[in-house]
Amino acid sequence: MKNFQYAKAATAEEACGLSGKETRFHGGGIDLMGEMKDYIDSPSRVIDVSDLDQQITDKGDHWLIGGAVKLVAIVRHDALKKSLPGLVQSAEHVGSPQIRNVATVGGNIAQHSRCWYYRQPDVKCLKKGGSQCYACEGINKYHSIFAEGACISPLVSNLGIALSALDARVQVMRKGAVRDMSMEAFYELADVNPRAHNSLQPDDLVVSVKVPKGRKSSSYLQISEKGAFDWALVSCAAAADLQDGILRNVRLYLGVVSPIPYSREKAVAFLAGKKLNEETVAEAARLLMAKADPFEHNGYKVPMARAMAKRALLALEAS
Amino acid sequence: MNDDKKNNEAFRFSRRGFIKTAGPTTAAAMAGRVDEAVAEIEKSEKQELVGPAASPIELNINGETRRLKVEPRVTLLEVLRNHIGHTGSKEVCDRAQCGACTVLLEGEPVNACMMLAVAAQGKSIRTIEGISASGKLTSLQKEFVEHDALMCGFCTPGFITSLTALLEQAPNATDEQIQEACSGHLCRCGTYPKVLKAARAAAGRRGDA
Amino acid sequence: MSEGWPKNPKYLSKDLQRVDAHDKVTGKAEYAYDVHPKGCLYGQILRSRWPAARIQSVDLSVAQKMPGVKAVILIQKVPREVRYYGQEIAAVAAETTEQAEDAIRAIKMIAKPLPFVVNTIDALEEGAPAVFEGQSNLSKAKIRNKGNVDQAFNEAHAVIELAVSTQVEVHHPLETHGNTIDASGEEITCWASTQGITSVRGGIAKALDVPNNKVRVKMDFMGGGFGAKFGAGVEGVACAQLSREAGAPVKLMLSRFENHLSVGNRPNSLQHIKLGADKNGKLVAFDLNGFGSAGFASGGSSAGGGGGAGIPAPYIYDVRVQRSSQIGVAINAGSARAFRAPGCPPASFGIESAMDELAVKLGMDPVELRIINDPQEIRSKQWSQAADRFGWKNKYKKPGSSPGVVKTGVGCAGSKWAGRGKGSSAEVEIAPDGTVEVRCGTQDIGNASKTFMTVVAAETLGISPELITARVGDTTFPPSGGSGGSTTCPSVSPAVKDACDNALEALQEASGISDLSGANWKKACARLAPNPIIAQGKWKKGLSGSGTGGVQMAEVEVDTETGFVKVMKITCVQDCGLLVNRLTAESQMNGGIIMGIGYALYEERVLDPITGVALNPNFETYKLTSMADTPEIDLELQNMPERGVIGIGEPATVPTASAIANAVANAIGVRVLSLPITPDKVLNALSKVPAPEESIPWGRVASLTAQGEFIDLNSKEWIV
Repeated sequence: MKNFQYAKAATAEEACGLSGKETRFHGGGIDLMGEMKDYIDSPSRVIDVSDLDQQITDKGDHWLIGGAVKLVAIVRHDALKKSLPGLVQSAEHVGSPQIRNVATVGGNIAQHSRCWYYRQPDVKCLKKGGSQCYACEGINKYHSIFAEGACISPLVSNLGIALSALDARVQVMRKGAVRDMSMEAFYELADVNPRAHNSLQPDDLVVSVKVPKGRKSSSYLQISEKGAFDWALVSCAAAADLQDGILRNVRLYLGVVSPIPYSREKAVAFLAGKKLNEETVAEAARLLMAKADPFEHNGYKVPMARAMAKRALLALEAS
Repeated sequence: MNDDKKNNEAFRFSRRGFIKTAGPTTAAAMAGRVDEAVAEIEKSEKQELVGPAASPIELNINGETRRLKVEPRVTLLEVLRNHIGHTGSKEVCDRAQCGACTVLLEGEPVNACMMLAVAAQGKSIRTIEGISASGKLTSLQKEFVEHDALMCGFCTPGFITSLTALLEQAPNATDEQIQEACSGHLCRCGTYPKVLKAARAAAGRRGDA
Repeated sequence: MSEGWPKNPKYLSKDLQRVDAHDKVTGKAEYAYDVHPKGCLYGQILRSRWPAARIQSVDLSVAQKMPGVKAVILIQKVPREVRYYGQEIAAVAAETTEQAEDAIRAIKMIAKPLPFVVNTIDALEEGAPAVFEGQSNLSKAKIRNKGNVDQAFNEAHAVIELAVSTQVEVHHPLETHGNTIDASGEEITCWASTQGITSVRGGIAKALDVPNNKVRVKMDFMGGGFGAKFGAGVEGVACAQLSREAGAPVKLMLSRFENHLSVGNRPNSLQHIKLGADKNGKLVAFDLNGFGSAGFASGGSSAGGGGGAGIPAPYIYDVRVQRSSQIGVAINAGSARAFRAPGCPPASFGIESAMDELAVKLGMDPVELRIINDPQEIRSKQWSQAADRFGWKNKYKKPGSSPGVVKTGVGCAGSKWAGRGKGSSAEVEIAPDGTVEVRCGTQDIGNASKTFMTVVAAETLGISPELITARVGDTTFPPSGGSGGSTTCPSVSPAVKDACDNALEALQEASGISDLSGANWKKACARLAPNPIIAQGKWKKGLSGSGTGGVQMAEVEVDTETGFVKVMKITCVQDCGLLVNRLTAESQMNGGIIMGIGYALYEERVLDPITGVALNPNFETYKLTSMADTPEIDLELQNMPERGVIGIGEPATVPTASAIANAVANAIGVRVLSLPITPDKVLNALSKVPAPEESIPWGRVASLTAQGEFIDLNSKEWIV
């Protein structure tokens, strides 16, 4: 990797103050160092934000989770397990223990594409400023089946999907001021701008995430090729209020099928007030997948996502 | 705690650590270099940014304070292997995908290949060399030997390191916990069944299926 | 057969702990990658970014002047052509790894990209880009024929046809390829990560134009090879040249990325198979039209070994009338190398898939069909032995009849391998203090060479293993050849035994004590003072055997909604000949099975047809089996001392994928016809999605076959 200047920030303000041209923030470093080692990005300055806010705080109607909270802290947090099982399950599925011990909440939701063309050091794809998305015509087994834009690399953040279902909001510091973004807003740029991984500007820093406790039931599931430590082919998160078997306030998101967390209003609306059972979830899953538009090698994601959606919804009962 | 105070404390810790390591007999002989290094650290801590040129860092490795000068891009694994000669941790994938470089940072397993040495300052680092420092095998290591939980041996230090952390936290670790602790490790020879058996035995369940 | 081995052994066939385990569990074991002579530099290689190009010029001048850089060399003179992504172009040595990397990136090249083809099926087409200009990408078809195939099919009671394919698998030993070499002086030392120290010595000596006796190759520990680490390799030669030019030792270990590209792989295969049986299930006709690629240099060898793409079909079964036509296809990719039982896993997958389809057609139990057709005496018993251990009779159900979303299924497959011994030599030194050193110029590649040498020496000398130190991996020791073909144990054990027998005789003579047992051992040795005695030994016929067989059975769960396959259990019954050390042999069997699971479900090299680059040169997307994917493994290692020592490292991996594939087909009632069996393919097989378009031009293959080279097997026996 290319050499750079390094500083460990003590506060978010200091981190933003140190941020200049060609700066990258370093949380757990797994995503960033992978890009740097493969010369996909070669920042001239790296600001280590791994020691910033590491608090998980119960704020009554919501949880406030610091941007530098390590995923291991979420996995081991008993109260969170009870309150937001979907979030904890999404963190449990991230990488390996070694990765969860360093990876941060901010780093996970802001992580960059894992598309194998993007990560290939000798391919200059659309996302890296090239003229072509090679995956569209190439080998797109791991790519999106719902893609609006020209880059079809899917969002792979586990937490991003779970937090979308939980209707979380992300606090982002931009030029010293904190702004509050919905999960939709946090990712929407990736759908329209092929070079974007999310909606963050280069020196934006994720300082915290607010997760409402409103929905009492939540779940997260993923399916991979291997039994452990493998990226999801499809993931699904659901959250709802479930009383006497009746679904209300349902949110349902799929991961790794689109450059952003994917949901469909029709499917969600269908679920409102319905009894949680096999027929309900089957119809919701059908509606959710109705607009899927797979490529040559990823048609399998359609039935797979349907199955994951059904199972994530049914898992609400247990949570 | 305001920033200045924090920096001062870090600085005091650094200097104390170094003098202790250098010891009374070598301190005199190295006096010139001590002053130089201390002065350099003092200077660098006043500026927050270090690099891109090599700058002094201080690492706590297996209970010893190590001081060296490296560029910010140098990884912890590179320092361990090529700067201080601790070659038990291996570079296999160089991307946090295999666990062969696993070390314990504040007692928790991390991939040294994906950690900047400069970012590991101020934290305790324990490597395979620190696990049986006395030369006596730990009970986990003995079980590895007894069960033949290794073949070519290249992945073995990584497994031992992760499982050591697990067994220190959960001496009677369950199979599920052992599986999870091993999930970040790859072995190409295929020693997993015996790694599992050895770890079970070390967790007090010898002879379990 | 092997009367030379003791009838009631004290140490043979038991569980001696791996003698170097202590060094491995403490991290003290020193691999080529860990050796660090004083002043050691770090080497790196610049590789082609193009799948095919004419390199017009390479400018090394900037790199040469960079900080810390001590040597920069060209791998081959320019202008030249490169024929695959990752082919070596230049190399540097510098004081730090970072400086070496900076210098590599400072080398500028002018190159003209050329048309390329990385897909085997595309390369087969007329008008495909030629990997070597002016030459066909295809070898002449080799047709091996026995009897009248067409007539036999006409007369057959049941005939099935299927087309299957297997992927390119990459060895990926955890220690990458590489060396630490000190060629700064007249005496050259090379610490190599190798399966063959002698061939590395030859390669380094030749590259530096020095006599063999000036090069010493050492290998104390090495982190796996699986067939890919025999010669000095381009990286070894470059390392030696850099060291000489820099006048300092150089360590050059490949990165994981590089290891994926240019140091070997298992060729892929596409097989169109036709199999016929009479009404009793006896096989009467076999026909294979096949092709595969061993990379850019795929010359179309179809002998089923080494670097060729040929496979030894129909593998373990004896079919009276058979025909096999195979074509080697060149593509712009790194060359294949021998990989754990070369040719056998793909051959096994093809024929065992066909056998199960035939069993369904005949309405027979798949195990029964195999027993009827297995020509090998030991294995034909193993089918029933394995079935009993596994509970086959209770578990086997009609394909697809398992209820529910998650379906279970079972499958079986068999293996054969020669595993014979060959010329090897060893020496034994008995010291006056009663300790013994056993030396052999073989390698310990994780197969426990040092351990089984200790077992054999302890048994033969009648002393405790604690008195013995076994040493390998040094070209100053008696030569033993490469560690491959499962030949190490059957070659080395007899040589060690012979050396020990000779040493005993010498000790008796020197000490005047004829009974060396018990306390007499130390007494006799003490009479040697001050000099030790050294005795030589050679591999001899009669102490080793060959022709091992094995059977594996697999049980799987398949989630029919997600396509996820979980292997629940593997039962393995393996003939081990004379089992030298049970504890470490078990590990080898486990290892072969676990590698076979990767071949069945996860591993596949993916090259991009658009850009020609490797898309998964890492462990994130080139997926290896993990602990979580490892099922219960039930081993029966059959110790048959009367057969002598036989190697078993390779056969262990052969039938696993075939058994798993058959189990998946048994579970879901349809067959996934290509490896690896990933969830997408399972869902495709279940018709949950239209399968991706893939048209294999079997018509063209057949017409190429018609122009092939005909070999009559009735006059020329062909056995792997």
